[in-house]
Amino acid sequence: MALTALICDDSLLARNQMKKSLPAAFDAEIVTATNGLEALAVLRRQEIGVVFLDLTMPELDGVGVLEAIKAEKMDVFVIVVSADIQPEMQKRVMDLGALAFIQKPVNTDKLSAVMRQYGLI
Amino acid sequence: MNIDWLSGPLLQQLNSGVILLNQQLQIVYINPYICRRADIQLESVQGKDLFSAFPDAPKAWLSRKLNSVLSLQSPAFSSWEQRQYLFKLPHLRPISSANQYMAQNCNMLPLTEPTSGEHFVCLLIEDATDAYVYQSQLQQSNLQLQQVNRLDGLTGVLNRNYWQQQLEVEVQRAGRYQHPLSLLFFDLDKFKRLNDDYGHQAGDIVLIEVAKLIGSLLRETDLFGRYGGEEFAIILPDTPLQGAIEVAKRICRRVAATPIEYQQQQLMTSVSVGVSQFSTATSADELIQQADLALYQAKRNGRNQVVTYYPELIDSLKKVKS
Amino acid sequence: MTDLSFTEEQRDCLQELINVAMGLASDKLARFLNTFVHLQVPAIGLVNAAEIPEQFRGQYQGLNSSMISLGFFGDGGLRGETILLYQLENAGKIAALLGYDDDATSEAEMLTDISSILTTTFLNGLAEQLDNSFSYAAPRVISSRDNDFISKLEQTAFHWQLALKVDIRYELTDYSFDCNMILLIPGEAVLKLKTILDNVLADF
Repeated sequence: MALTALICDDSLLARNQMKKSLPAAFDAEIVTATNGLEALAVLRRQEIGVVFLDLTMPELDGVGVLEAIKAEKMDVFVIVVSADIQPEMQKRVMDLGALAFIQKPVNTDKLSAVMRQYGLI
Repeated sequence: MNIDWLSGPLLQQLNSGVILLNQQLQIVYINPYICRRADIQLESVQGKDLFSAFPDAPKAWLSRKLNSVLSLQSPAFSSWEQRQYLFKLPHLRPISSANQYMAQNCNMLPLTEPTSGEHFVCLLIEDATDAYVYQSQLQQSNLQLQQVNRLDGLTGVLNRNYWQQQLEVEVQRAGRYQHPLSLLFFDLDKFKRLNDDYGHQAGDIVLIEVAKLIGSLLRETDLFGRYGGEEFAIILPDTPLQGAIEVAKRICRRVAATPIEYQQQQLMTSVSVGVSQFSTATSADELIQQADLALYQAKRNGRNQVVTYYPELIDSLKKVKS
Repeated sequence: MTDLSFTEEQRDCLQELINVAMGLASDKLARFLNTFVHLQVPAIGLVNAAEIPEQFRGQYQGLNSSMISLGFFGDGGLRGETILLYQLENAGKIAALLGYDDDATSEAEMLTDISSILTTTFLNGLAEQLDNSFSYAAPRVISSRDNDFISKLEQTAFHWQLALKVDIRYELTDYSFDCNMILLIPGEAVLKLKTILDNVLADF
């Protein structure tokens, strides 16, 4: 069964950029969410293999999503994708269980490198 | 058409300075515009630190700025308006002797060598001496105009308009900070007769000389103005009544004791002075009115003397006038 | 009349591009200043340039504020002017950070230096994402220590049609402050910008 990936970002451009930058070798079905609450709803409803998570979002931000994932012990890989690259924030999301941190703008090279490292492709 | 040949001759003949530096701020290239003006040879400075080739350049500031260009890969700019020049270079405008060096605008641009990817910073230097000279002249003229607008043409003391503005300012200040403030009004005695006997030219000379003499008795902060005709006024900031009376008496004595020379003649004159202080008056107009009343009383008392305003003056003057 | 308004998609696209440009700028500034710098853009606003003075009247009135302008030109007719607005007391903090406390630099020079570093770093990041590159005019101080700053802003905004209001929050290691960046863009450049944004959107 193919993997399902969730792209969570409030910006349409960012979601589209993300979709387009996913390496061709990544065989997955893509679902999207526009804020943290939507993302959690998706995660609770269906099996998701990997989440590409933005940090700054309305309703519930990326940190909130990570906290919920940790609290509910969901089995999912989280790759944070953010323009917000402050080291303190990186440390915080890694401590909350994120797998990797990618700085926006995303491109296929950056994504492939990270995804290969974690065996996603 | 291939235009690769263009950059060489352009750099040679460009009417702006070009200095190319590597990441260690060592000189890689300087175009003839700079070489000729700085009287240096490219070969002798190539590879040298910018600040050893130009020891007068503002090192701390400029190196910080150049480093920001390199590390941020963003251009920076320096304007003659804030820093007249970066490098001491001569200019070709001999008329402006006041500024010895070329006023400069400088663009600092990040450049990357395409094959090696090595970063450089390029300084583009433009001569802004003309703008600098025009602005200096403009400032000078504005300053002169401002002076002219404030001074009385004959005596060189403040004119009435500006003096009155200053009085408003001082009255407000005295009110706000509870400082004493006094005012002197004075008038040349029998000035009309002096004009009739010796002519208007003599009258003018007396006004000029008396103004000069009194000016020499005042502090920097006192504001001395011509109120009209032969009437003058002095604002004495931070001066209580007693001090003002002292000044007024000194003025009276000195004017009466100092002959004024006019066409080999010694003209004698005197002044009557009225004094008022801010504590009895509450506005600039009142202060003027009170000093003027006191001056009138000094005239009535026989001239060449000082009278201080007191409230009863108004009544006594009413009686005289009615 | 030409329609200068943005669609929701165009607005979203611009907000995202600006967020990313700010992220890139913080990264560069942090490395340059050797301290933690975080720039955040809570929201952008597109408004008629004529409304700009009114929008800032309350925020800066009666304060010692400073207003610095920087013109930019890009390829494809993209051009405009950025205005950086901030309170002078904040300028002192950045000045110290940039090492300006140790020499006799004039206040005007310090202000233009700070502003051009902040704006060009950001604009370069924005240009990069638009596949463009900008060149810049010399920065100038429009107003500083000046009560008349709203009228100066009126005069400046008068020449432009669209204003892109970008509120920026700067966070430094132990200090944070807010300032405002305004991108003033002439009508024809707004149309170019809309086309560029549509192309970016079509690409994805």
